[in-house]
Order: sequence, then C-alpha cells, then structure tokens
Amino acid sequence: MKLFARQTCALVKLSFIELWRRNDVFALVLLGLALMVPLSMATPFGAAGASRYLDEMALLLVWGFSLFVALGAGQRLFPPEFESRTIYPLLAKPISRGRLLVGKYIGAVAASWSALAFFYVLFVASVLLRGGAFSAELPQAVVLHFAFVALAVAVSLLGSLLVTASANLSLSAIVLVGMFFFGRRIPEYAEGLNPALAWILKGIYAVAPHAEFFDMRQRLIHGWGAVDGIVFVTVLVYAAVYVSVLLLLASLALGRKRL
Amino acid sequence: MSAAGRVFAALGGIALAWCLAGLCGRDIGRMPQVVRGEGALAVAFGDARETISRAFVGKADSYFHGGIDMDCGHLGHHRHDEHCEDECHEHDHGHAHGHDHEAEHETANESLDLWRWINVHVCAPQEHRHLDGEKSVELMPWLWASVKANPHNIEAWTTTWYIANNMLKDKELALRVVAEGLEKNPDNPELLICRGRTIYDRGHGDLAAAHAAFVAAVASADGMLQRGGDETDERILRARDFAQAYIDEIAKKRGPPPDAKE
Repeated sequence: MKLFARQTCALVKLSFIELWRRNDVFALVLLGLALMVPLSMATPFGAAGASRYLDEMALLLVWGFSLFVALGAGQRLFPPEFESRTIYPLLAKPISRGRLLVGKYIGAVAASWSALAFFYVLFVASVLLRGGAFSAELPQAVVLHFAFVALAVAVSLLGSLLVTASANLSLSAIVLVGMFFFGRRIPEYAEGLNPALAWILKGIYAVAPHAEFFDMRQRLIHGWGAVDGIVFVTVLVYAAVYVSVLLLLASLALGRKRL
Repeated sequence: MSAAGRVFAALGGIALAWCLAGLCGRDIGRMPQVVRGEGALAVAFGDARETISRAFVGKADSYFHGGIDMDCGHLGHHRHDEHCEDECHEHDHGHAHGHDHEAEHETANESLDLWRWINVHVCAPQEHRHLDGEKSVELMPWLWASVKANPHNIEAWTTTWYIANNMLKDKELALRVVAEGLEKNPDNPELLICRGRTIYDRGHGDLAAAHAAFVAAVASADGMLQRGGDETDERILRARDFAQAYIDEIAKKRGPPPDAKE
C-alpha cells in the first residue's frame, strides 16, 4: 500500500509538471482574458449594470477550457510512452499495468483539477472585482465540475488506448459536448422518430456519459440555490461508477495491447 | 500539348470565366445567399444571422424567466394592444409555467427514469421567477447582440424598447433604442408606434409629437400594405390598427376642433 502510494505520488508529480510546463493553461487564460475584457467594458444601448451575461460567458469558458485540459491530459497518458518506448522501463520497475493505469489516471485528474481550481479562482476574483457576491451554490458547482473533469479524463484515457490521438480527441469532444448541450433532450428527440432510430437514441441516452448532470451554471448565474443533497450524492456516485467502468475497460485494453 | 492547343485552352478558359462572370453578375441580385447588410458579420454569417439573432432573443427570454429555457417566447410575444401587459400578461404567464414545472416533476417521478430525475433536479429551479424592475437590465446584452446579428429583426428592437420603456421605466433609453432601430429600419411602423407610445406615456403633454409618430406609423403601414398586396403581414395590420387607436385617443384628449365648438 505504501509502495502504491509512493508510486502514485510520483506519477501525480510527473503529471503536474507536464501540464504546467506545457503552458497550455496560461495560453487559455490569456485567450479568456482577450474575450472577457472587451465584453466587460460593453454597455449595451448605454444601459449599465448587467453582469449575468459576463458570469455566463466566464463559466462557459471555464467549462470549455477544463474540457480541453482534461481531454489533453487523458490523451497524453499512454501514447507518448508507447512511441518513445519509455513504457518498458516503467513496467520493469516492477509495476503492474493496472497500477500504472490507475496511478497515471490519478495524476492526470489531479493535474486537471489544479488547472480547474486556478480557473475558478480567476472566476471568483472577476465576480468579486465587479462587486458581486460569493454565491452559496459555488462549492457544489465546483465539486460537480471536478467530478466531470474526472469523467472526461477517463473517457479520453480509454479512447487513447483504442484509437489514434486525433480521432480520440475529436470523438471524446463530440460525445461530451453533445451530451452537455443535448443530453437532456434526447428522449424528446426520440419521440418523433421511427422506432429503430428511437431505440438507438434511447440506447445512447442510457449509456453515454451524461455531462449535463454536472452543469450547475444556470443555478449559479440566476441564484436558484443549491441542489438537493440526495441528487448531489447521486450525481457523484454516477461519476464514480462511470469512471470505474471506463478504467476497467481501459485496463482490459491495456492488458491486451502488444507492447 | 502543342502551342496551338495551349492557346485554345487559354481562350476556352477565358470564355468560360467570362460566361460565369456574366451569369453571376446577372443573377446576383436574386441569389438567396446574398443578404442585405454590411460589415464582417454579414460576410461571415450571411442569412445565418437571422437564426443567430433569434437565438439571442431566446436567450433573453430565458433570462426573463430566471434562466429557464422557454419555447413560448414570452418577451417576443408582447403585443401592442395589451393595455394591461405588465399585470395581466405576467400573471397569466407565470401561472401557466408554474403548472408546467410541477408537471415536469411529476412526470419524472412517475416514469422512474433516473437520468430524467437527475436532470430535472439539477437543471430546473424549484420555483418560477421573472426578472422585473431594474434587474431587467440583464436582458439588454442579449438583445443588443440580437440586433447586432440582424439589425432587421424588428421583434428584437421592439422587445428591447419594451424592456426599456415598461420594465426599466427609462424613457430616454427607450427613445434611444427606437432611434437606433429606425436608423436601421427607416419608417418601420412598429418602431414608429414604439416611439409614439414612449412620447405619449412620458407625461410631458407632448401630444403633438406622439400624434406625428402615430400618423407616420399609419402612413408607413398603409404603404407596406399596398406594396404587400395579398401577402400582407398580420403584424403590419395590427400595428396600423393600434396606431389608429392612439390617433383617435389623442383626438379625444384634445377635444373637438375650435370650428366644431362654434
């Protein structure tokens, strides 16, 4: 156990260094500033005082950037090790494939969480600077967003072991973004279709990762209040179960991979 | 290829280009993708601007309902002839939506669809609220984006005017919005009515200016109805009737002309 913790710590440290060395996060922050600063200066029709649209845009950027970071982190876990053949010394430590997978996953999630925490610090700072107040729903929203990032890293990790990098990033982004925006409405779309297509849609609805469960943006922006405790826990359990299944599948894919 | 072949090929290419240029030049005014408007937005998005513009109005509508997406388009469906639009309209609307949400919760419970149950509880508020008073300013950025995307979206202009005039109670802002809208859509009867109403309601007793705006609206609507023939827009007919009603109201307030008194 102690050995596992030490090995995991080393992998987490490596993931941190890799993420922050790449300067992706800083590039994203600069991009965010380039979009948000002109927006914050706008006074539509000369009517000042609107701020919710800024919160909405800022949160959308935080979500987009966190997805970008999470998918990238998940994708970079194994393919570079295969290409540069550094997987051999890693497995020769000795460390099992399953332990390597879990350790690397935890490292990628921790690194992505650190980037997300940084984005949220900037978001809260921008709200406070504009004279806004710290929202009571924020802690819940952040926790659910963290769970979403863990899910996105797992999706990307599994994809990286099955398809090429570009295909994995494209497919993962399409699935997660599609579910984020349209997942809630899939049953409605299925109602008007012929039975075969409706069944396919219902199948997708049943098994696809429901990214929209983690989205509390409207609650934050419009001050709806916190989510029920039972619902909150259910969503976290959903994320944990989904991540476990994805890691199991990834472990099977890694175990069958010829190195 | 021989030299003669190259010359023929070059001449053929020139002839083809000339024919295509002639065809495009002749039909360019009738091409559906050629939209009115200038600037980078018009070039980049073409007719898609109309859809984008409507989406922004939808977003403003969602903000009005406290962040809930509504398909009924509350803000976009305010009518000029609603004399009690602030009280009656909001009351009726809020009542109806309250039932919708309860029904949604009930359906989620009944169908035992866990995913739907989570969605309903995460993405839907427990109570229905409307933005009112000064908070309505939150709608302005989306409506501003809407008219920037499509300056000919009259619904977006009149909705913006409605918020400035009736919800924010800022008559100067309302007049500024209408002036900007009329700049992009000269002589639009609906915008002229908005101007007339703001002047009429302002309480400065400027009945002459309001009367002039309503008369201009009637004249503009008549012109549009003549041009439209059988394909007249119901909105224009309604706007004309509404402007005429205001003209009659002003005539009543002014009393009979001096000649009639004698």
